[in-house]
Amino acid sequence: MSEVLLRQLQKYAADANGKVAVPRKGEIIVEIDQGKVKDFISRVVNDLRIRHLSTMTGLDLGQNVGIIYHFWRDKDTIHVKTPVPKTQPTAVSIVEIIPGAILYEMEIHDMFGITFEGNPWMDRKLLLPDTWPADLAPPLLKSSKPAEIRKRLQLEVERK
Amino acid sequence: MTAEQVQPKRKEESAGLMKYSAENLVPFGPIHPALKEPEYFKLVLEGERIVQVIPRIGYVHRGLEKAAEMRPWVQNMYMFERTCGICSFVHSLAYGQAVEGLTIYEVPRRAKYIRLIIAEMERIHSHLLWVGLMGHWAGFETLFMWVWRDREVVLDLVEAISGNRVHKSMNAIVGVRRDMPENMEDRIVERMKFLVDRARYYREIIDTEETMLERTEKIGKLSPDTAEKLCAVGPMARYVGLRKDVRLNDPYAAYDEVPFDIITSNEADVHALLRLRLDEIVVSANMISYAVKHLPDGPIRVKIPPVIPAGEHSAHCEAPRGEIFYYVKSGGGRTPERVKVRTPTLANLPTALEILKGQTIADVPIVLTAIDPCFGCMDRMSFLDTETNRQWTWSGEQLRQYGINHYFPERLKR
Repeated sequence: MSEVLLRQLQKYAADANGKVAVPRKGEIIVEIDQGKVKDFISRVVNDLRIRHLSTMTGLDLGQNVGIIYHFWRDKDTIHVKTPVPKTQPTAVSIVEIIPGAILYEMEIHDMFGITFEGNPWMDRKLLLPDTWPADLAPPLLKSSKPAEIRKRLQLEVERK
Repeated sequence: MTAEQVQPKRKEESAGLMKYSAENLVPFGPIHPALKEPEYFKLVLEGERIVQVIPRIGYVHRGLEKAAEMRPWVQNMYMFERTCGICSFVHSLAYGQAVEGLTIYEVPRRAKYIRLIIAEMERIHSHLLWVGLMGHWAGFETLFMWVWRDREVVLDLVEAISGNRVHKSMNAIVGVRRDMPENMEDRIVERMKFLVDRARYYREIIDTEETMLERTEKIGKLSPDTAEKLCAVGPMARYVGLRKDVRLNDPYAAYDEVPFDIITSNEADVHALLRLRLDEIVVSANMISYAVKHLPDGPIRVKIPPVIPAGEHSAHCEAPRGEIFYYVKSGGGRTPERVKVRTPTLANLPTALEILKGQTIADVPIVLTAIDPCFGCMDRMSFLDTETNRQWTWSGEQLRQYGINHYFPERLKR
């Protein structure tokens, strides 16, 4: 990992009141508030020229849903983490900066119920069936139980 | 099926039609019984040209990420191997590396070499499978037959090493489960030499055979900047000239010890993709020969306790189709708290949608096959002419025939 990259990230994170950690060689974790994450990512992409977003991960953290943006360049992986409260599940979309993120945002929308403001395809489903009931909890939240999903979607197989 | 039998079933479809009333909307997909990843594309057409593509995936979504949260760490490894029926090994490799990062154990050097050998054999078999399919969709059936015959060579070797052709179950957490059989070295080197010769021969064929040239040249153009913006991975990034390869940029297993070249291209069309993948077969075969000759001695596996320490870690590997990504979070228990999988086809889908724009219907099978998707959707295609409201359905075979007739009308007269 280059020291220059780490120092730059620390500087950007400090501007956005974020924290930087290096848990092991080649891995940088940046924690940032939801309001500042778009600016931070636009600086990573445009100024540092780290243009490859590997994917976005959603996580159930209890009160919040955590979103992690995984960036990759050479031997460095940069994880940008941001929490989104479950009571107000809206996050800001980064499709303007990285057009390739569109499907990853749709996936988190399906699986965790987070709406990304600015994503043009938020009105349709990517992975869940069209018949998914609106009042059923998104499937990857810890509160969602497979047995209930099978019951509500009438997927129970009759066993002889 | 006759035209009258096909009726619009969903209101949503007709609403879409109203929206694009000046254009044709072609639903494309989703079910193909033989393939594991059906996808559904709505193609918006202006005459013959595609102007927009809207994807809908998830028809075979099995909830593996949720299932992983209820299973022990070791069991998950073999479950994730079944994510894909072609590049199965690399899934368990990426999952294994993500979990190994959370432990204090180091993978033995011999195991790293064995992992490399199996991963490269998988790449050869996946690329050969793809070259054969390209031949099939282009109307060059002989190529399909020959290439798939040669693919048996590498599948036999995989079977001799692991006992299985597809789901090898070779990986363990920290190491591999099976050692290389005794006295395999000469056989592997000889078979790899055969595959190198075949790949070079096919390379010559696709550069000279008119059928392949007409169907693949100047089709599927993409600029490097767009590919980078859309986060393309694997051969889809390399065929426009980007040097993006996890094996080179962030070496894992024994890739830092085995010499190899990265193949890139600057032509950026489907023909360049064919050449690139055939060249990669040669590179992989040479890597395997090198690895079996320099296979180090020693243990192949470290036994570890069933509990993985708390923490989070991610790992990525170069699957035949591009970067594959696993993220693992452990709460210190017997099961993971979260496992995230990102397959290369999902990463390449936005790129494929971009390439399809401006192509004709006749090129759809070729272009969609070119990204080497885990390939759904070709079996059924229904058409709707908005002016006359006439509907009809084509099977994958009819669609293939349409593509061939479009390019080689003289064959119709024969």
